[in-house]
Amino acid sequence: MKEIKGSIKGANPVKINSDKDIEIKIEIPTKAYFMSGIRDFTLQMIKNMTDFSENWAYRFQSVVDELCNNAIEHGSNEDSYIKITFIAVPDKHIKIIVEDFGKKDNQISAKEIEAKILKSKNTPIKDLGLRGRGLAYIVSKWTDKLEIRDTENGGHIIEITKNLNDQTFQTLERSLEPNQIII
Amino acid sequence: MAEVKYTFSELLVTGKTNPIKLIALEGILDESNADDFAPKVYEVIEQMPNETSVILDLEKLSYMNSKSIGYIADYYNKVTAKGGKIIIAKPARNVKETLCVVGLDQMIPFTQTLEEAKLQA
Repeated sequence: MKEIKGSIKGANPVKINSDKDIEIKIEIPTKAYFMSGIRDFTLQMIKNMTDFSENWAYRFQSVVDELCNNAIEHGSNEDSYIKITFIAVPDKHIKIIVEDFGKKDNQISAKEIEAKILKSKNTPIKDLGLRGRGLAYIVSKWTDKLEIRDTENGGHIIEITKNLNDQTFQTLERSLEPNQIII
Repeated sequence: MAEVKYTFSELLVTGKTNPIKLIALEGILDESNADDFAPKVYEVIEQMPNETSVILDLEKLSYMNSKSIGYIADYYNKVTAKGGKIIIAKPARNVKETLCVVGLDQMIPFTQTLEEAKLQA
């Protein structure tokens, strides 16, 4: 029998090229184990469903990971869950909202989270210690807007927005070119 | 599930008293495995003689989160306290970007090849 080769692709990704916003909601248990799946989903979604470049897909992967890790570690009980909402508005922006439901002990307020971010930003890089780079650097530098709110049930909502057409794209793309490698 | 594979080896370099410690990583370092991996590096740093340099070969590492980067900053403090240097070699583009956005490039030199890393170590 003659060798037959072929391939079949699944449905094409839904490219956002209409007026319609796309909103995707995901809930995951508060376990770091689930984050690799969320990172993969974020990468593919940004690559396939928005006009953001591949570089930005990788950056968003980190942003989402850091937001979720923060919500799991600092804002949740072990047996709880967090909610992640992706909202893509064609030609305008992408918004990512991560909600946690608070901790029984060591409850922390939105203001305290903001204060921690500010403290990290004002600390010399070499003195930062193990933590303090996620929200203060990865999330803050790769997004245009970062809002933190307390919720009525004792949790927090952290909402980030990245505008599709803004100058930071160009600036960031340039600043991260290989010429920054120290040899 | 995230997995990181690691290889610890030594590089003999002419003119260097102590061999360079080479730590090559492959896979993913995230919240689920960073705390388990870090003690293995701390053990290497603790046991190595003073003035030993460490090269982190990140060519095959496809993802790194902020906690893992925090550990690298801590390795830097420990290695330099013993009079050694730490160099990051061949990071993948997205990993390099993450390292740069948190400012690690202000502390640790990055190189594009292992040979360059050996020269700097």
